[in-house]
Amino acid sequence: MTDMTASALTPPRASTRGLSPAARLWRETWGQREFRFGLILILTLIAASILVPLVTGIDPAKMQIKDKYLPPVFLPGGTWAHILGTDHLGRDLFVRSLIGLQYALGISFTTVILMFLFGSMVGLVSGYFGKVVDALLMRLTDAQLSIPLIILAITLLTVSRPTVPLIIFVLAVSGWPVYARVARGVTLSERNKEYVRAAQILGASHWRIILTMIAPNILPPIAFVAVLDLARMMIFEAILGFMSIGVQPPTPTFGNIIADGRKYLINAWWIATMPGGFLLLALLSINLMGASLERARNKLFSGQI
Amino acid sequence: MNAPATSSSPARSERETILAVEDLGIELVRGAERRAILDGVSFAVPERGLIGIIGESGSGKTVLGRALTGWVPEPLRQTRGSVAVAGRKLSQLTNEELRQLRGRTVGYIGSDPGTSFDPTLPIGVQIAQKLRAVVPHTGWAAAKKRVLDLLDQVRIPSAARRFDEYPYQFSGGMLQRAAIVDALVAQPKILICDNITQPLDVTIAAQIVRLLRGLERDLATAIVFFTSSVPVAKELIDDLIILDKGRIIERGPKDRVIARPAEAHTRRLIDSSPRIWGKDVDVPRNTTAAALPSDVLLSVEDVVKTYRVPDRTRFSGTLEVKAVRGVTLDIRAGENVGLVGESGCGKSTLSRLLSWIETPDRGHIRFQGKDMAGLRGKELLAMRRKFQLLLQDPYNCLPPHLSVAKTIRTSLDIHGVKRAEARERARAVMHEVGLKDDDAERLPIGMSAGQRQRVNIARALVLEPTLLILDETLSSLDPAEQSRLIDLFERLQAKHGLTYLVISHDLALVRKVCSRVAVMYLGKIVENAGNARIFDNPGNPYTRALLSAVPVLDKGPFNPAECLVDGEPPSPINVPKGCSFATRCPKAADLCRSSEPLFSTSEQNRNGVACHFPYH
Repeated sequence: MTDMTASALTPPRASTRGLSPAARLWRETWGQREFRFGLILILTLIAASILVPLVTGIDPAKMQIKDKYLPPVFLPGGTWAHILGTDHLGRDLFVRSLIGLQYALGISFTTVILMFLFGSMVGLVSGYFGKVVDALLMRLTDAQLSIPLIILAITLLTVSRPTVPLIIFVLAVSGWPVYARVARGVTLSERNKEYVRAAQILGASHWRIILTMIAPNILPPIAFVAVLDLARMMIFEAILGFMSIGVQPPTPTFGNIIADGRKYLINAWWIATMPGGFLLLALLSINLMGASLERARNKLFSGQI
Repeated sequence: MNAPATSSSPARSERETILAVEDLGIELVRGAERRAILDGVSFAVPERGLIGIIGESGSGKTVLGRALTGWVPEPLRQTRGSVAVAGRKLSQLTNEELRQLRGRTVGYIGSDPGTSFDPTLPIGVQIAQKLRAVVPHTGWAAAKKRVLDLLDQVRIPSAARRFDEYPYQFSGGMLQRAAIVDALVAQPKILICDNITQPLDVTIAAQIVRLLRGLERDLATAIVFFTSSVPVAKELIDDLIILDKGRIIERGPKDRVIARPAEAHTRRLIDSSPRIWGKDVDVPRNTTAAALPSDVLLSVEDVVKTYRVPDRTRFSGTLEVKAVRGVTLDIRAGENVGLVGESGCGKSTLSRLLSWIETPDRGHIRFQGKDMAGLRGKELLAMRRKFQLLLQDPYNCLPPHLSVAKTIRTSLDIHGVKRAEARERARAVMHEVGLKDDDAERLPIGMSAGQRQRVNIARALVLEPTLLILDETLSSLDPAEQSRLIDLFERLQAKHGLTYLVISHDLALVRKVCSRVAVMYLGKIVENAGNARIFDNPGNPYTRALLSAVPVLDKGPFNPAECLVDGEPPSPINVPKGCSFATRCPKAADLCRSSEPLFSTSEQNRNGVACHFPYH
């Protein structure tokens, strides 16, 4: 390697030899522009959703009737005081959307993590042990699948007060069976592979095999699907808010902002559009990161890095 | 353009050249990486010619074989030269023309028949469909008739019934026959066989080779036969080409090449090919160790294992698969025992029982005098350390997500060794099996079969076992890598005092490393004797049949025409009455079909033959 061109021509494997697979994976992921862009975007969004309400001190629930229906700053008539305009009660949409984003991100992430962990654990156990365990767990999964989300949500959230933990619970409960099904399917084919038998011969316990041998091989592809579920959960959270069984006013959420704004779609379209805009940015960044990570992983396991 | 390989007999060079490869160069291009896979390969095959290309794995055989069909997939790139079939250069043909050519002019048989058929369609139907696709205006009835004829010709029994059966209902040998039919159905002018006998049992492989020899006479087809085994090539082919690292290093008639190889590499290839009989055969020094009294390490006593599978032909009910039907065997410390038999004879089930990942239905397995069935928890874990099983398939037996060093450390982790110590021991054992420090952080994906098998050995060895069970551990490696690993095993044995149980269908390997051999057939041991006894004067006709099927360079003492058996072993679901081998045995008498021969033991659990007419 005498100069830049020569080092650019050497195969990547030579330059990364000696690094652990995890380090190589991270290097490859970080090397992609999309990943850095997505990471910066999501960090900015998170920082903004926490900092902007604190720094500007604008109360998202404060009404100023004389400032109602102000358009965003980039439209004629907009002011810098309300960058994204105001709604029908003159509340600042920027701060309201950012707080809505806080809830949307918090709820969707927690939900997806919960249902991913619970669902894949059920799937792993059921697929690995098979027989009676499998039959029991899978019938339980079927039972859960037979209850539609909306019915469950209306029942639970109207009987008791819709708090954030309860909303997370409702969403997660309705989401895990899919993960259980998928994880079980892959586990069934994975547990008959030779490396699992090899681990048994070495004397590894069942739990060690499930957690350190099978799980690391089957969960990443499922996790990439879970990234898509983040979007679904954000939308479900918005649906609950829209039906006014989500997080309750005066706390702004995407759902109730849209619910408020839908009556004014013709004269003040921006009210109902803002949550959608933030949703788009958040999901875009997460998907970019997920896709980069998946590409890097595929490269790693096809021996290219 | 008369390559030396084809001009050996004047009659041949007069025939028209059907396949001409000229200065073919293929490179692997991946990103900035460029590696030559084939480098200036030239040869020609006349019509109805028969040519053998021998090379180790990694010599470019498969790439060359595919290039002959015009298939050079990414990331491979053809950089120079040409392949011409019947005078047409493949690189100049359109995809449509190539497709036509592949079915009708060139037939290809790969090494893995299991993946070359669509699992959702009956075998006969897919072959007939293929015929109709490449030869337009073929009626269904005509296509079916042609397929049936060919199925008959490759001696698939009751072809009409097999026509409608699915690939999963075929055994490996039968699938390989069906693959041959598939390649021959459109009467191609060239048949390319890529290592087709490697995954098969010796007896089945011998049948396939015999079959190909017959077909070559009956059908007007040129055959290009790729193999890594010199003896197999010698059985079948007159002209050999030796391929090494993408170059042709030697070519000529087989007798000359094998007797007086010009190149050092060719000599190495020939030397590394199995030898069973003859003066210069190295057999284990302790062949007579049987006489030495030493402790019984592993004692297997009348072990039975039966699996229950659902009976698909009825609404409910189960069938009993009698995988192991009463095996008795002693292994003494320091002696290497071989367990041989065709696939499906219960070897693998026995290995699972011996490694205690399944428990026998009946009988006892004692390790160092302790009955395994009585052990639980910690005691069992401590015992497991002492016997390790090395699995067959180097591609799937390593966890794909763990680096080499971590895989080896996992073994120690399971047995509660501290982290720092585990790291040190893993490093030491890696050196011992011939892995470099550089390999520590590699994933299995980029490694060769031999390297993976070394990792596999390392992770068992790091536990410091006393007994290693090698379940076909070496059978997927090419001869050169095999002999390197055998050397490694010998070194390890000398250093650590290991005992090996070698489970294999490779008799040459067993001849080389085992002092005692047990022959298994349909879940029972039919003969158990010392190395010399088994190979020079076997008592059971089945042992003789197995021995006669082994491809060797020198002439074996058993005449295949006399001893070789036809057909496949009966299913372990319907074990025949009487002697289980009677259905295929050339010497079977009425007595054999009515009563089962007992295992005659001259010494406890050691020398013995289960046959009514031993040494007959």
